[in-house]
Amino acid sequence: MARRLLTLFLLLAAALVGAQGTVDAIRARGELVIATDATYKPFETKAKSGEGIEGFDVEVGAELARALGVKVRWIDQEWSGVLGSLESGKADLVMAGVTITEERKRKGYLYSRPYFLSGQAIARRKGDGRIGKPEDLRDKTVSVQAETTGQFAVEKLGVPKERQIRFDGIQEGLLDVVNRKADACVGDEPTIKAYLSSYPDLELVGPAFVKENLGIVAWKGHQDLVAQVNAILAEMMVDGRYARFYERWIGDRYTASIVAGLEAQKDAGSPVGEAKALDEAPASRADSAPRSSSTFAFRGDILRAALPRLFQGAVLTLELTALSLVFGVAGGLALALLRLSPLRALRPLAVVYVEIVRGTPLLMQIYVIYFVLPAVGIGLPSFAAGVLALSLNAAAYSSEIFRAGIESIDPGQMEAARSLGLDHAKAMRWVILPQTVRRVLPPLTNEAVALLKDSSLVSVVALAELMRAGKEIATDGGSPTTIYLSVALIYLAMTLPLTWLVRRLEARWGSARPRRALQAQEGAA
Amino acid sequence: MSILSVQGLVKRFGANEVLKGIDLEVGEGEVVALIGASGSGKSTLLRCVNRLEEPTEGTVAFQGRTVGAEGIDEVRRHIGMVFQRFNLFPHLTALGNVTLAPRKALGRPEAEVEREGRVLLAQVQLDAKADAFPIELSGGQQQRVAIARALAMKPAMMLFDEPTSALDPELVGEVLEVMQALAKSGMTMIVATHEMGFARDVASRVVFLEKGRILEDGPPSQVLEDPREARTREFLARVLRR
Repeated sequence: MARRLLTLFLLLAAALVGAQGTVDAIRARGELVIATDATYKPFETKAKSGEGIEGFDVEVGAELARALGVKVRWIDQEWSGVLGSLESGKADLVMAGVTITEERKRKGYLYSRPYFLSGQAIARRKGDGRIGKPEDLRDKTVSVQAETTGQFAVEKLGVPKERQIRFDGIQEGLLDVVNRKADACVGDEPTIKAYLSSYPDLELVGPAFVKENLGIVAWKGHQDLVAQVNAILAEMMVDGRYARFYERWIGDRYTASIVAGLEAQKDAGSPVGEAKALDEAPASRADSAPRSSSTFAFRGDILRAALPRLFQGAVLTLELTALSLVFGVAGGLALALLRLSPLRALRPLAVVYVEIVRGTPLLMQIYVIYFVLPAVGIGLPSFAAGVLALSLNAAAYSSEIFRAGIESIDPGQMEAARSLGLDHAKAMRWVILPQTVRRVLPPLTNEAVALLKDSSLVSVVALAELMRAGKEIATDGGSPTTIYLSVALIYLAMTLPLTWLVRRLEARWGSARPRRALQAQEGAA
Repeated sequence: MSILSVQGLVKRFGANEVLKGIDLEVGEGEVVALIGASGSGKSTLLRCVNRLEEPTEGTVAFQGRTVGAEGIDEVRRHIGMVFQRFNLFPHLTALGNVTLAPRKALGRPEAEVEREGRVLLAQVQLDAKADAFPIELSGGQQQRVAIARALAMKPAMMLFDEPTSALDPELVGEVLEVMQALAKSGMTMIVATHEMGFARDVASRVVFLEKGRILEDGPPSQVLEDPREARTREFLARVLRR
């Protein structure tokens, strides 16, 4: 109670002093913008009603806005973009169960005082006696949410990179343990607890093994906002509001020891000084509405540090693309031949396959292959699942290219070949296909470009290809502008030679001129 | 004894009856000129003989064996065919066109087949063009390569489907010369043609087809100069006036 009075007194005193930068801008705008990723029980999830989001953070955030005298607007996005939205000026605050780390502070993030005490917990399959304490994870395969403190904790334990399976969300990590692709999943204790009810095959092991403080995050320079947040939090923690939220969302009693713990950690955030009192009624400023993201800066130092990881990502992208292209083109040719087979009964097989693959999103196919197939006993590791999904997809699309190519050959060619006594297969092999090659190479190269770009989708099954690598670096404050621009340039460096090749091929083979190269190719086979 | 025996051949495309019951016996060494207006069924008859078209009714027998779906590739190896539009394989040289089928259908050694191929190209006066691609050849040259290609399988009979109709007039002669030489060598030939000169000078027999039926069948002197049917006379009057 004493604390509350003190805060009130301070607020009143500061009211006489007046203007402050960020807070004024927010109040003039009439809106506090908070970025989050609403896939993180119990802090924030999509509301059961289907509209908006709900959770512990959502209630705390609403109180912050109310205390500032403004409305709240949530930006719900993928975790990888959440912290970056501060630097770009799209959001004032981030509330997403973010752990306070010294490294993030160094990157320019400001933290409020800890508003939640958390820790890393381990989920295992029920009764899996091999995992009892954190150290047992060292020789196991562990799933984590990428670029979270869960991943950092696992790294610190000494689990090598190749046995960390990194996902965008914690749920995929838990599913991986159910599917026996990972032995354990490590993540924030309250979150894992909250999701465990949906995974009856899993259980928590032991108490949280890394203690962590969760903070509300702002970008550097906005000390006044963080100071206000601290003041409001301090009030809430003792006046019963915090207790209500805690008991509703965390499901535990809000005890004196929790209050004491929060108080003991109150300086673990960024040093921002005391809050100044708010004006009674902020003057409405027309120019204050959306803050422009004038923070564009290409950071050479960040790029240099990121290059090795980006390079590794690009190599993985190329490997995925090359393998999938080989399998996909071979499969596509087989499908096209099936489709045009003299055995009419076989044709529908190819048609049905192509329609199914083309009629469903690639992302869904990847999920099915990685997460659903284990249910019928086919558990593929990430790389194999990624190559399989991309290959099946490329096969469907390239089969249509081959079919169009084969059908574009004058039927007189097939008749001439058959009249000489070549059977259907030999006529295809020696007469039709060599002529088809020229016609399908340009569209197949286009398919290769599409495949290279689509390969970014397999990042959802924990493959750190180029897009994912960029995302991971940018997620944790690595200047998203610099990173994404660089990623785009690397993609271009890979696709431009291919598109240039298409243009050359089209220019060269657009006319019906035969090439002696084809003769050589025919003779070689 | 006849090498080819067609009996009661009917071919329908949907509701359109193109051949309405053809009976035709061709003896070994005969050169049959198949004449008739466009759409009279000449091409369809030839294509039914080697089963590029499946007959709707009736039978075709070649060398005493019924020509059916079973074993058709084997039968075709003994029946050469030359098309109106040549249908050379554009990705292969002249020699490549000639040697493809012996190599791939019969699996014969490449060197031997190439030797024979060059001899065949010499026969059609194209030994100098062995390494040329079809697009580098004139229409007449392409058709002569096509004839050599068919001969490479050592067929017992040759079918010609209007072999000179797609050629410029000045190129017709060189193709007809090759065909004439082939006829002299004793090859059994069925030639669908509008070249009445060829029918008269080279054919041993002329068959006049109209609306899917054989209207007249006899030696050239009889069919071309003294036709029994009024419609044959009308047709001849039309083509000869041209």
